[in-house]
Amino acid sequence: MDNEVVEGKTTRREYKVIRYSPWLVHFNTGACNGCDIEVLAAITPLYDPERFGVKLAPSIRHGDILVVTGAVTKKAAERLKRLYDQMPCPKFVIAVGACACTGGVFSKSYPVLAGADKAVPVSMYIPGCPPRPEAILDGIVKLLKKLESGESGDGCGGKA
Amino acid sequence: MAVEEKLSFMDKYVVEKGFVKPNRRLFTIRSEHVRQVFTEFIEKLGRENFYLSTIVGTDMKDEGRIRLDYYVVLLPEEETIVIRTYLPRDNPVVDSIIDLLPGALSGECETYDLLGVVFKGNSFLKRGFFIPQDLVEQDRYPLRKDSGV
Repeated sequence: MDNEVVEGKTTRREYKVIRYSPWLVHFNTGACNGCDIEVLAAITPLYDPERFGVKLAPSIRHGDILVVTGAVTKKAAERLKRLYDQMPCPKFVIAVGACACTGGVFSKSYPVLAGADKAVPVSMYIPGCPPRPEAILDGIVKLLKKLESGESGDGCGGKA
Repeated sequence: MAVEEKLSFMDKYVVEKGFVKPNRRLFTIRSEHVRQVFTEFIEKLGRENFYLSTIVGTDMKDEGRIRLDYYVVLLPEEETIVIRTYLPRDNPVVDSIIDLLPGALSGECETYDLLGVVFKGNSFLKRGFFIPQDLVEQDRYPLRKDSGV
């Protein structure tokens, strides 16, 4: 697969593919499970994510949005790249939590890359330690808004 | 005390007795006796009456030695005891107990990868199982105090 990432505008067609059904794939790259619990909380009926069409994809090959938690250890980064390569276009990555955004308290530690954007292109950063479930859903909705206005690229360079 | 009696077979190997913390007994033994001690554990207590919980290595740089702690849980009391031994820092070699207790696999592999303790007889040891590849190429052990990571 072509790993070259070309930043570009999202087309109307790409937005239509994803707008009513942004399916999530959740990947823990070495998080303490704090963020993972909040991600799981965000997909419970209490927060009713299906009003946005958000639900978990049965497989990475069905996923639209990769939700990354954790400081991205060097070992996990290889797996993260492989997961990202297996996603169909258009595809987006959301970094959830301080660790996935910048490495957080682990940013100077030797086994981590410190930040999901060091491994894959990230469209949305949700800071917090951990972020509230509302914040995670808000990030997904804001990503869709960005796509509607054509602001954000999808990492496929319009090849979808 | 029941646990004390149960472990009386260790007396001939124990160099020093103590406590890591209240309710956690510490038995310091010589590194060449590790295999014999665990062989006797299996003989005297039986495999179903204890298990090896974990192996912890600590770099005592100022003393020039590496401290190796075997955490053993006694059943049915569920009491944890620590079997401690010291290895020279410049040549940390100890006999593997993986053939006696297969549960030692993860502990021995981890201690080798992060601290460089060689467990003689363990054929599963390899660098880079836990630590990133770049440190393997630099031949550095992250838990050594002078590794600089």
